[in-house]
Amino acid sequence: MYIRKTVLALLCLALCLGALPLAAQDDSINMTMWVRAINFQTQELVDAWNANNDSQIELTVIPSAEFVTKMGAAIAAGEPPDIASIDLIYTPAFASAGQLVDITEYVRALPYADSLTPAHMALGMYEGRNYAVPTAVDGSFIVYNIDLFEQAGLDPENPPATWDEMLEAMRAIDALGDDIYGYWFSMNCAGCNAFTFLPFIWASGGDVLSDDYAEATITSDPIVREALAFYNTIWEEGLVPEGASIDNGSSFASAFAGGNIGMSGTGNFALSLYQNDHPDLNFGVFHIPGRDGGAASFGGGDVIAIPAGSEHAEEAWRFIEWTMSEEPQIEIYAANGQIPVRLELVDNPYFEGDERQAAAASALAVGFTPYTTVYNDLFNDPNGPWLEMLQVAILDGDIDGALELGQERFTQIMEG
Amino acid sequence: MLLIKPAGFLNLSWEQRRKLTGLLFVTPTVAFVTVFFIIPLLMTIFMSFHDWPLFGERAFTGLENYQELSKDRQYLKSLDFTFRYTALVTPPIFILGFILASLVRRNIRYIGIFRTIFFLPVVIGLGVSSLLWVWMLDDRIGVFNKILLDLNLVPKAQLFLGRPNTAMNVIILSVVWKTVGFTMILLLAGLQAIPDELYESAEVDGAGYFRKLLYITLPLMRRFIALALILSVIGSVLSFDQFYIMTRGGPRNSTISIVFWIFNNSFTYFKMGYGAAMSIVLLGILVALTGLQLYVLRERE
Repeated sequence: MYIRKTVLALLCLALCLGALPLAAQDDSINMTMWVRAINFQTQELVDAWNANNDSQIELTVIPSAEFVTKMGAAIAAGEPPDIASIDLIYTPAFASAGQLVDITEYVRALPYADSLTPAHMALGMYEGRNYAVPTAVDGSFIVYNIDLFEQAGLDPENPPATWDEMLEAMRAIDALGDDIYGYWFSMNCAGCNAFTFLPFIWASGGDVLSDDYAEATITSDPIVREALAFYNTIWEEGLVPEGASIDNGSSFASAFAGGNIGMSGTGNFALSLYQNDHPDLNFGVFHIPGRDGGAASFGGGDVIAIPAGSEHAEEAWRFIEWTMSEEPQIEIYAANGQIPVRLELVDNPYFEGDERQAAAASALAVGFTPYTTVYNDLFNDPNGPWLEMLQVAILDGDIDGALELGQERFTQIMEG
Repeated sequence: MLLIKPAGFLNLSWEQRRKLTGLLFVTPTVAFVTVFFIIPLLMTIFMSFHDWPLFGERAFTGLENYQELSKDRQYLKSLDFTFRYTALVTPPIFILGFILASLVRRNIRYIGIFRTIFFLPVVIGLGVSSLLWVWMLDDRIGVFNKILLDLNLVPKAQLFLGRPNTAMNVIILSVVWKTVGFTMILLLAGLQAIPDELYESAEVDGAGYFRKLLYITLPLMRRFIALALILSVIGSVLSFDQFYIMTRGGPRNSTISIVFWIFNNSFTYFKMGYGAAMSIVLLGILVALTGLQLYVLRERE
């Protein structure tokens, strides 16, 4: 008798408890958010939001190379996520197709609108309206291994400032041993090389696209040929590990962490990886140089936007606005080594006295981002002309053929 | 029509009943083919005459997509690659499939174990097997490089999927491993349908192995060979997974099959109309190819 009552009571309790969260969830908003696979604190942001708000966000990470394809398919199927953290270079394509919610009025109401990183704001605009705001700020630069510089008799206080100086440093480091290499590039990763190889061209005053983005300047700009020849020399002389030629980006940041690579093009996303997971790695940061000096950087990272068709646009904006507020910007971004999206917050307690962070953040000052609706087709597509051109020129050594091929396919894509 | 009561059905003449029953039997198939083949095919044809972005406005452009095909260097390259791949992958599948079928033909003890082993890769998904091969071919952790290095056959680890000349070969190797079991089963059925008496009387007449093969086995297996060949060629021309997973179309875009290029145009470049036009052309090529095979391998009475 007692047992039966106890069981009944327990059963009631279990049912009641089970029903409680169900009832609670019914009036709250559940949103979905997509982010491409970048080394960034998006999950922490979402967790912090979920812990303090009625509305809940479910985060899905999409492989970077698949992002545009998946996002396009989701939009076409009428089931886009409520919030999307998009590689900033794709924003013009999505905005021009009318697939993002116009957030101009929201942005105008922000007291700090003018201090949001300019490259991201520019890419988030289409025909004078705002469609996205910055969420992950990332400029490209070069990391170098201070220990290897010292062993090779190089001065780590004066890192290379021209291509020739870089080559000399690579050769000196490469000579240290069979397993030690001067440089690392991920030559089967299209996006990685837009991020870290294009700035070599920009810093020398050249470009692969005309100023108005109307035509390709691959064959007409002599700097493009010279930059390809520079990378081809690195490959021909064996200054990079052979595996670099087939790396699809999975070792883009981690290769340098192995400690046997002298230098590598990278971005802010990798700094926290090195600092947190490889505390013994003794490294410095310098800007990507031009042929005879100068500096440039690819203003990369993600913007955050609300895809058209989101059922919770207002709540989605509430989340977006919160991510840009001071507390998460300092306690989640800066504390994890990420650059805040508001320029006035770059001077924060976490960045004070950290030369590497300062150097990385200063790359934003020379940062540049191309604005074109066909960016993915030109640069990031693994089967696109950019990667094929680099591989033919750098790995096969056929620079003339590569330039011609690049010019032809770029033109074809830009003409639509 | 489907809701005819039994009483009504019984009132019909035998001939009418027979017709009605036949209709009932084919209805599910007709419905299935209509919904999953005819309608999508008509939609694809319709789309191929439009500038049809994945999202946004679409516009009628007539034959423009088809005209563009001839200027698309990668499309021609992909067609060439796909047929080269088909021509290279089909013979090994057939020869090996035939040898395996001959080996497991007789019903002796434990033969089931071997049939199962040879057939096992067929039940693995092509995506899974492709990933498996990517790992086996890896230069750092792959088993192939380990064996080659230990036997001193290569001086250093090989980047099989990173070199244009080896990438195609190792993909063919993986596909043969994956699909040869299926061809084996089809050919085995053909082999077992041949009565032993024919071989016995041929032996009495003094025929050796090759004469028996040439005059008994192959002619009597014509139908099975035709079936296996058509399935294999269609599968190869439509191949996508192995290239998408193992090489991503690389190196230097040298392994982009035609379906891969259709996928890229439709879903990465958002040019659905153009992708549809390419699909229609490919359909035409496949129909012609299959017709040719059926003609060559037809039963000559």
